[in-house]
Amino acid sequence: MPITAAHIWGEKIIPRRLLLNNMHKTVDVDLEKNILSANRKLAEQNRALLDEHGIRSFDFLGGIGSGKTLIIERLIDRLKAKGKKCAAISGDVSGDDDYRRFVSHDIPGVNISTGKECHLDAHLVDHALEKLPLSELDYLFIENVGNLVCPVDFPLGSHKRIVVISVTEGDDMVRKHPAIFAFSDIIVINKIGLADAMEVNIETLEGDARKANPKADIIAMDARNGTGVDDLLSALEL
Amino acid sequence: MSEIVTSVIDEAKSRNASRIERVTVELGEFTMLGHYQLRFAFEVLSKNTLLEGAILDLQTVDGEIECSCGFRGKTSPSNDRPHALASAFECPRCGDLAKVTGGRDCVIRNIAMVVPDV
Repeated sequence: MPITAAHIWGEKIIPRRLLLNNMHKTVDVDLEKNILSANRKLAEQNRALLDEHGIRSFDFLGGIGSGKTLIIERLIDRLKAKGKKCAAISGDVSGDDDYRRFVSHDIPGVNISTGKECHLDAHLVDHALEKLPLSELDYLFIENVGNLVCPVDFPLGSHKRIVVISVTEGDDMVRKHPAIFAFSDIIVINKIGLADAMEVNIETLEGDARKANPKADIIAMDARNGTGVDDLLSALEL
Repeated sequence: MSEIVTSVIDEAKSRNASRIERVTVELGEFTMLGHYQLRFAFEVLSKNTLLEGAILDLQTVDGEIECSCGFRGKTSPSNDRPHALASAFECPRCGDLAKVTGGRDCVIRNIAMVVPDV
């Protein structure tokens, strides 16, 4: 016969909850675990590792199809022509399309397929750095997952953060996602050659971008034909 | 959110907790994390774990800015203006873009858990 509360406490029925409370207690545990600062600390470690090897790094944010990959390819070509050694990390939810484009320029690359995550984080970049010949590099480009929201909270350790928008996304883009512009160093407005066809006013985008971040460099580009590549290179101090 | 859930469960397991009653999380106003999504994720991720049924106590932490003009203080986005979030980064004294010094964190502050009384 199983021993019940009635056996222990006589005929008086003790609620199970009270019985449990005699053997268990509720405690408050102060954890103080800072989820986002853990990423920031890792980002600082990434930065220190890059600095140690004399590598300057740039991470590119922006919506899918804004032209991040082509812009980075243009920069790689120009830097290679100057005899500089580049590498690229490409982040996407799936596939290796961007990775294949980068390594076709004969540079080392790492592909990060996040699977489900909508952004890269410092931890993923840390592991990608392990796969690169850091001592041979001058510059590292990191292309984040196409997304204008989540990457804001996750610095990666790069020296400058560039956000890319294109006129094909409409001239209300900056107003819809102001935070990413406020937390970036350079704002690129790409595909300006298509502005007329899209009936998009570039001045509106520039004005909004300046309002969101008065300190950022704002660069109008058309990566397809190379317009603005020089401006971006000088904003990156390259 | 999965990091929050994993951290809380790890902590509870290390203390032999049988149940978690409440998790207090502080969420900075300048993060891109939303209360609604966090609650939903918390509920889904806590199924069949020590966390199931626990209350998620989400507390908003005001954003803080520091301006070169000397202003230092709390600030909030004003929703009646375009650039709602960006407007919070402007110094209310001089209008310049200020440096964000607080409100970008997500902190697990406290866990109330049931542990053996030994």
